[in-house]
Amino acid sequence: MKPTPRRYSWISWRFRVARFWPSEGELFVNGQNLATLKRHEIQEYRRGVGFIFQDFKLIRTRTVLENISFVPEVIGVPPAQQRRRAFQVLKWVGLQHRMNAYPLDLSGGEQQRIAIARALVNDPLLLLADEPTGNLDPDLSLEIMNLLREINAGGTTVVVATHDRELIRLVGRRTVTLDQGRIVEVA
Amino acid sequence: MRAFDYALRQGWASLWRSRGSSTFAIIAIALAMIVLGALLLLTWNVEQLLARWSSAAEFSVYLRDDATSEQRGAIESLIDQSGVTAGREYVSKGDALSRFRREFAELASLTSGFEDNPFPASVEVRVRADADADGRAEELVRRLAAAPGVADVRYDREWLARIASGLATIRAAGLALATLMAIAAGVTVATVVRLGLYARREELEIMELVGAPLTFIRGPFIAEGLLQGGLGAVLAVVLLGLAYAVVISWWGQDLNALVDGGAVQFLPPRLLAYLVAGGMAVGSAGGFAAARHAG
Repeated sequence: MKPTPRRYSWISWRFRVARFWPSEGELFVNGQNLATLKRHEIQEYRRGVGFIFQDFKLIRTRTVLENISFVPEVIGVPPAQQRRRAFQVLKWVGLQHRMNAYPLDLSGGEQQRIAIARALVNDPLLLLADEPTGNLDPDLSLEIMNLLREINAGGTTVVVATHDRELIRLVGRRTVTLDQGRIVEVA
Repeated sequence: MRAFDYALRQGWASLWRSRGSSTFAIIAIALAMIVLGALLLLTWNVEQLLARWSSAAEFSVYLRDDATSEQRGAIESLIDQSGVTAGREYVSKGDALSRFRREFAELASLTSGFEDNPFPASVEVRVRADADADGRAEELVRRLAAAPGVADVRYDREWLARIASGLATIRAAGLALATLMAIAAGVTVATVVRLGLYARREELEIMELVGAPLTFIRGPFIAEGLLQGGLGAVLAVVLLGLAYAVVISWWGQDLNALVDGGAVQFLPPRLLAYLVAGGMAVGSAGGFAAARHAG
């Protein structure tokens, strides 16, 4: 069966967070060969990577602030720092007034901004966004892409996987086109 | 320490969220621990009784009716010089009859029909516990049995050995049953914890992606099992305590008579602590089995 392009973007994304391994060749991130990492090194590596999903993947039973502080919490950051860091990034995405709301009370755009805040809370070197605007209307999509540009301007490498050619054109950044799992164009 | 604190908090929260299904796991642990606790209660009390009987060993040297006072004197000298006795008492034929009438009052009327006193005179000897254990008492009994004027010597220790052997059988059967029940309880805990794991799979995926250590990913599930096990074991201890109180209030006197005037006792704190620790270990094992599917 011929794989869909959607599947390819997902798989390449999984490679980059070291969940799957390439069947051929090597994958280097920030000078590190992911194939040679040991389990604890993979955990360490993942702490420097932020991720954003098309379906946000927010935890419905936690508030906005808890969703964001969840990330530093599970890597052992002291409680006071967890909340301080979470509030800082929440403020940065402009949703500090919704800190006690639950994800299902928010709009799609707001949920994606929370997901971006969560991805930023560990101050990552690399931010991976898998179809981050897939569930949003064009205006909100552009808003999210602008937010990602700002993050990139702050020194974080941002990799966005998308099928939205119009959005790519509007953002106007380096584009790598994949077809059947192979790079066919770099512009 | 932070991982431990996180695991306990999350484990408790998960247990509370799934309190319906957790109740089954807690009951399963409690049942296994009740069986184990009841077994401990029985064997511990019987062991106490056996120890008391062993330390209070006695034998009786029955004299022939025609034994002379010189022969009796020689027997008593043999006993005194053996160094294995803690004391002796001469019971004459008359004393033996009186004792029978006193201890078996309902049969006392039978003795009035006797033409002669059928009870033999005897020397009752209390054996030192160390002499009973190292076999010197047995040696003395053999020498006394061969002494002139002795009709018989009763030093029946076999029944103690038989009780000890029966107790070992009960203990082995009870342990096998408790082990089976503990395994079933562990499987129940694992199933319940695993249900919680599926409910939290999105959270777990995020944890894995952000590089959470395994202790943070799996710890809460092990802690949940540990808490279920602990609660189940504490419930078992409470129920055992209540059952003990009820049994003692209803049949306490009969039971105490059965254990030779001693008192049937509840398990000491040390054994209760082992029981709770056992429940926690079973629960943790179930939690660990479930946690292997996370991360």
